[in-house]
Amino acid sequence: MNELVQWLASTGLSNWIAGAGWVVPTVQCVHILAIGIIFGSVLMLDLRVLGWAGSDQTMTQATGRYSPWIWGALIVLAMSGGLLIFGEPGRELLSTSFWVKMAMLAIGSGFVVALQLSLKRHHETWDVDIGSQATTKILAFVTFFVWIAVIALGRLIAWDAQIWGALFPRSVS
Amino acid sequence: MDMHSIFAAIEASPVGVWVRESPNVLPYVNVLHVIAIAIVFGTIFIVDLRLLDFPNSNRAFTRVAHDGLKWTWAGFGLAAITGLLMFTANATTFLVNTPFWLKMGAIGLAGLNMFIFELLTVKTAAAWDRGAPTPRAAKVAGMLSILLWASVIILGRVIGYTKGVGVGEISIDLNNLNFLN
Repeated sequence: MNELVQWLASTGLSNWIAGAGWVVPTVQCVHILAIGIIFGSVLMLDLRVLGWAGSDQTMTQATGRYSPWIWGALIVLAMSGGLLIFGEPGRELLSTSFWVKMAMLAIGSGFVVALQLSLKRHHETWDVDIGSQATTKILAFVTFFVWIAVIALGRLIAWDAQIWGALFPRSVS
Repeated sequence: MDMHSIFAAIEASPVGVWVRESPNVLPYVNVLHVIAIAIVFGTIFIVDLRLLDFPNSNRAFTRVAHDGLKWTWAGFGLAAITGLLMFTANATTFLVNTPFWLKMGAIGLAGLNMFIFELLTVKTAAAWDRGAPTPRAAKVAGMLSILLWASVIILGRVIGYTKGVGVGEISIDLNNLNFLN
């Protein structure tokens, strides 16, 4: 990983981002707006599954409304995040928060994929069948907190050693 | 009392000292602030898009607003509390930070936009609630809301890069004053 960080830091793109002070703040703004859009959409889908919002729509309608925004904003998120990694490879790739965040991001995205596949397969009966099961509602609840964790860990990258050092004192010598 | 002594008193308050000096409180407050911002922007964006008839006007505006805006308010409440905590910890630094005041101004304008919309435009909602194009006033309100809240987020990020810049010069001036005394 150290070699990858060194190679990334030696690229022209990385040096350009590091040299132009405005790039990182600008890309971070785009990154925050994108996660906001994803989070709002995920929240609405979770609330729909839980029956706390959107009961005027079927789950297929609700997912049709929000999933393009989730995937569109996820592309923006990945591209802006990629630029941030290029700009500050050590800060990102050598931080614990970053890798836990990537795991949470994979799980959170996996839930969205699973929902869409399940709807595709059972779109006629989903609302009365799968949608009414307790497991589905629990998963909706879990998804909400997985995306909360993605946001929290993204912000914690800035204080990585301080936070993880305080949580696991022995891991930092 | 001038502004600086008021802000210095806020900073010296027990809450200010606690947030500033307790280990890791500032990072966790900051994390909650970002979560709150994501909730505010993510939910109000959905309502604003509906005001712009995007992607369509199939769902009643009142339903979309009812589903989303309570979360916007909850998120705003959390953002205000966590923001106030961060402000209290370093009040004098924010006093001289232009992006901070611009951000407060943008929040004020976003509030004013919402107030005018709720006071006037919403009263006509029965006519365009569902399946009909929204009036121009609603579209303007939706567009302004997206732009203003995005500005709030951008200015908030700028604060992180400008806060404390120039404070070094002020401390040098203070040293000179002490020296003269």
